[in-house]
Amino acid sequence: MIGAVVSVLFILLAASIPVASVLFILAFGVDYFYSPFPLTRGLGQIVWSSSDSALLTAIPFFILLGEILVRSGIAQRTYAALDAWAAWAPGGLVHANIGTATLFAATSGSSVATAATVATVAMPQAEKLNYDPRLFAGSIAAGGTLGIMIPPSINLIVYGFLTETSVPRLFLAGLVPGFLLAAMFMIITAIICSVYPNLGGPRRTASWVDRFRALAELIAIAILFLSVVGTIYLGLATPTEAAALGVAMAFAIAAARRTLTWKGTCDALVGTIRVTSMIMFVILGAYFLNFVLVAAGVGTKLIQFLENLGLSPFGTLLSIVALYILLGFFMETLSLMVATIPIVMPIIVGLGYDKVWFGILMILLIEMALITPPVGLNLYVVQAVRASGKLTQVMMGVVPYVFAMLLMAALLIAFPQLALWLPG
Amino acid sequence: MLRAISLLRTINRYVALTCGVVLLITAAFVLSEISLRGLSLPNLGGADELSGYIMAGVTAWGLSVALTERAHIRIEMAVTRLRSFWRDVIDVVVLSTFAAIATTVTVYGWRVLSKSIHSASRANTPLETPLWIPQVFWWSGWIWFSTTSCLIAIIAMGLFVARRSEELRNLAGTEEDT
Repeated sequence: MIGAVVSVLFILLAASIPVASVLFILAFGVDYFYSPFPLTRGLGQIVWSSSDSALLTAIPFFILLGEILVRSGIAQRTYAALDAWAAWAPGGLVHANIGTATLFAATSGSSVATAATVATVAMPQAEKLNYDPRLFAGSIAAGGTLGIMIPPSINLIVYGFLTETSVPRLFLAGLVPGFLLAAMFMIITAIICSVYPNLGGPRRTASWVDRFRALAELIAIAILFLSVVGTIYLGLATPTEAAALGVAMAFAIAAARRTLTWKGTCDALVGTIRVTSMIMFVILGAYFLNFVLVAAGVGTKLIQFLENLGLSPFGTLLSIVALYILLGFFMETLSLMVATIPIVMPIIVGLGYDKVWFGILMILLIEMALITPPVGLNLYVVQAVRASGKLTQVMMGVVPYVFAMLLMAALLIAFPQLALWLPG
Repeated sequence: MLRAISLLRTINRYVALTCGVVLLITAAFVLSEISLRGLSLPNLGGADELSGYIMAGVTAWGLSVALTERAHIRIEMAVTRLRSFWRDVIDVVVLSTFAAIATTVTVYGWRVLSKSIHSASRANTPLETPLWIPQVFWWSGWIWFSTTSCLIAIIAMGLFVARRSEELRNLAGTEEDT
């Protein structure tokens, strides 16, 4: 049964059937062929109870928050501010790319939106200042992936919902690895640009007056991040309440700067519903498939299958990591996550691994999927914004950052406390 | 045929705007509850429960928006190498699966709603909301999704028979083709 489920899953995905439809079709198939009970009878109740969720309301709120920030031009100001602070280092503006991506990751929940925002602001500078196009574009694509690791993260909400794991704990667990990964991106950039100075563009120094003036631009976004994450950390608000607070603050920032128009607001609302519904359709399919697989006893069969293989728990974990890296080359992030959770989670829980820790490890591997070709969405987003050059340049540019991610995955496996310390 | 699609898109844009405004009102309601709680003042409560109902309704109504705005995720790496005829076949199949799934969920969704009406079910919360009220909005969203997806599937079949590949692609392709 497991072989059939996995084969049909990949055949349908390769045939470009939409991910949500694939999950529903698989669930109907498992019910028809393998279940002793007519599970599809529960479809209506499953769809109602999984969409009637206060926790999931955080998803449209966080998407709206990001839409408002993007449409109100805050990215440009953030980028200029970080340029003033980071342009002296080897790699110059590349650090501003990673820094802006980190800050946007910390306020919006989507990696693609983060990469698109930073690319739009940064790309004209690369051509003007004669940066190496590969490293510059690669840093934006890689920096953008931080959007799903640093809270608030929509993918972490989806993971928490599907695996019944505390979302506040997941958010806190993502903080240290997220910022550590951003720091690793910057360190690796500095090392490369010290060895090959021609890759990093000119090093410029801003005056301290300019730097502190620029700092003022970062205060609003920092307050927004601290309010959203801080209220969750202190137990003052649930993720949904913190997201609502974030939406109000984003509107306040945009209003104070008089940058958000009526049309921009309408577009932000329409965009939010469009993306939310797309994500929710996938979640509903995954939830129904999860229900059918559990009822048909797949979890137990998987554990038996693995026991027969004779792998140690650590060996199994490494196989799962390798599987994610491999699948990441061919699958889009949300699909990769929701399609594998029903199959992988029973194994992880059965082996006694922590669900919060594994959530962060899985998000890291999924981040990698965003920048590994041929299906690496962030590569295409950055390429779409560039005025010239080949896609292969962006692919080459992300290689050092993929290395940093692999290193981070090894660190997370060796030191689970990196993720578990803060929520603990 | 193309006029029908254009009309569906326009209607769905208004659907999306309405859902967006409802979301904003929900955010305001959630915020008012946090503020009152922070100030230790009495509050109505129930923001959690209501936001869940809103999420169910917004999701159901938004599904047809995602369909007409081509937001659904498809992995098109292998399909782009196929001949135009087979790509068209897959596009028609894709749009038909939406129609089939939407109709199935709508049929089974009616069972949920009719059970709530017949047994006068109420939420197990302090508000004791009669469940049929939020479920009517939720189920009507699924009816709208079924209607839209069936119409689009029929239009797609028409375009396929007429060999209008490009228009079919515009209807079924994703906006951010992967």
